[in-house]
Amino acid sequence: MNSNDNTHGPLVERAVVSFDLAAEHHMAGCQPCQAERDHVENALREFAAANREYTTRPEEFWEMQAARIRAARTESDTRSRITMTLVPSVVVLLLAAFAILGRAPSVRPMRSAVPAAQIDADHELLLEVERAIQSDTPRALEPATLMVEEGDGTLPLDPALQNKETRSHEN
Amino acid sequence: METALRSALGAAAQNITAEDFDAIVRRHQRRVHRFLLMLLRDPDEADNLTQECFLRAYQNRSTFRGESGVETWLLRIAANLAHDHARSRRAGFWKRLLGLDGNDNEGIADKLVTSEASPERAFLAREDARAVWDAASQLSQQQRAVFLLRFVEEMELNEIASALGLQVGSVKTHLFRAVQTVRGRLRNLR
Repeated sequence: MNSNDNTHGPLVERAVVSFDLAAEHHMAGCQPCQAERDHVENALREFAAANREYTTRPEEFWEMQAARIRAARTESDTRSRITMTLVPSVVVLLLAAFAILGRAPSVRPMRSAVPAAQIDADHELLLEVERAIQSDTPRALEPATLMVEEGDGTLPLDPALQNKETRSHEN
Repeated sequence: METALRSALGAAAQNITAEDFDAIVRRHQRRVHRFLLMLLRDPDEADNLTQECFLRAYQNRSTFRGESGVETWLLRIAANLAHDHARSRRAGFWKRLLGLDGNDNEGIADKLVTSEASPERAFLAREDARAVWDAASQLSQQQRAVFLLRFVEEMELNEIASALGLQVGSVKTHLFRAVQTVRGRLRNLR
């Protein structure tokens, strides 16, 4: 097999990733795959070495970083201590405030003097009075008046007004 | 030392002294920083998140149950921070798009030139390292984290699984895909 071929490809990957019996068995008898595996593993080793060197920092860097972590940790401790002190105090204060407010005489909302049903009845009465004034017709005669209107188209005559007019002519 | 720290963290995590925690920082800061730097490729962010990682570890030390090593626990916090950071960082998209973070390849590749290596070997090694770096750039962050923990930090599969909260099978799958990508890049060089 040419090392550029991919015929046995997955076996090389499997051998590189971890111990794989089938892959190892194949490698033992396939020189190109063995060479390919060596090449990949060498490249990975060089990459790892390069990375380790690339990420190397002088000792002062680590000292400074450790100091910053220490400072952040101290600050976090202080903050949590303040929180631990403040939270119970605030809770106690709130409880006290609720207790005081609970004992104080409370102002109860005044009940409405006029019940709602009565308001409605008054309103209806007012409307009826207004309607009666505007129509000049006693309410008891309203159905009859309407029948006259429908029958001959003449305007309804109020008997009280008719009597008044007769009497004025007599005078 | 490690056992003492683990028992201090496990048994009475809340009672851990400042000196104990400083010792944890000094012992693990290099690895946490290296992991974050490789993952994020931004020295400032790696520095900030390393500090944040230790601060979170200190604040949540009561949650450490000692089932895994202190380092695995710290790397898990670091991976979560890097994940959150990558998700929230929209500028990174533009940075990658404009190729502003491409200079890191040179930085890493240059580190490969050693005095005992022949110029040709050094060149080939640099090219291979660059190809691997490019391949790693193409991976998802999860895959890259798995890849770096395996091949740079040389961690066992179960340690990686524990550090990243994955199943060992998922770790193997991520590694398989990562190596496939690396192999493809290396083949393109030839």
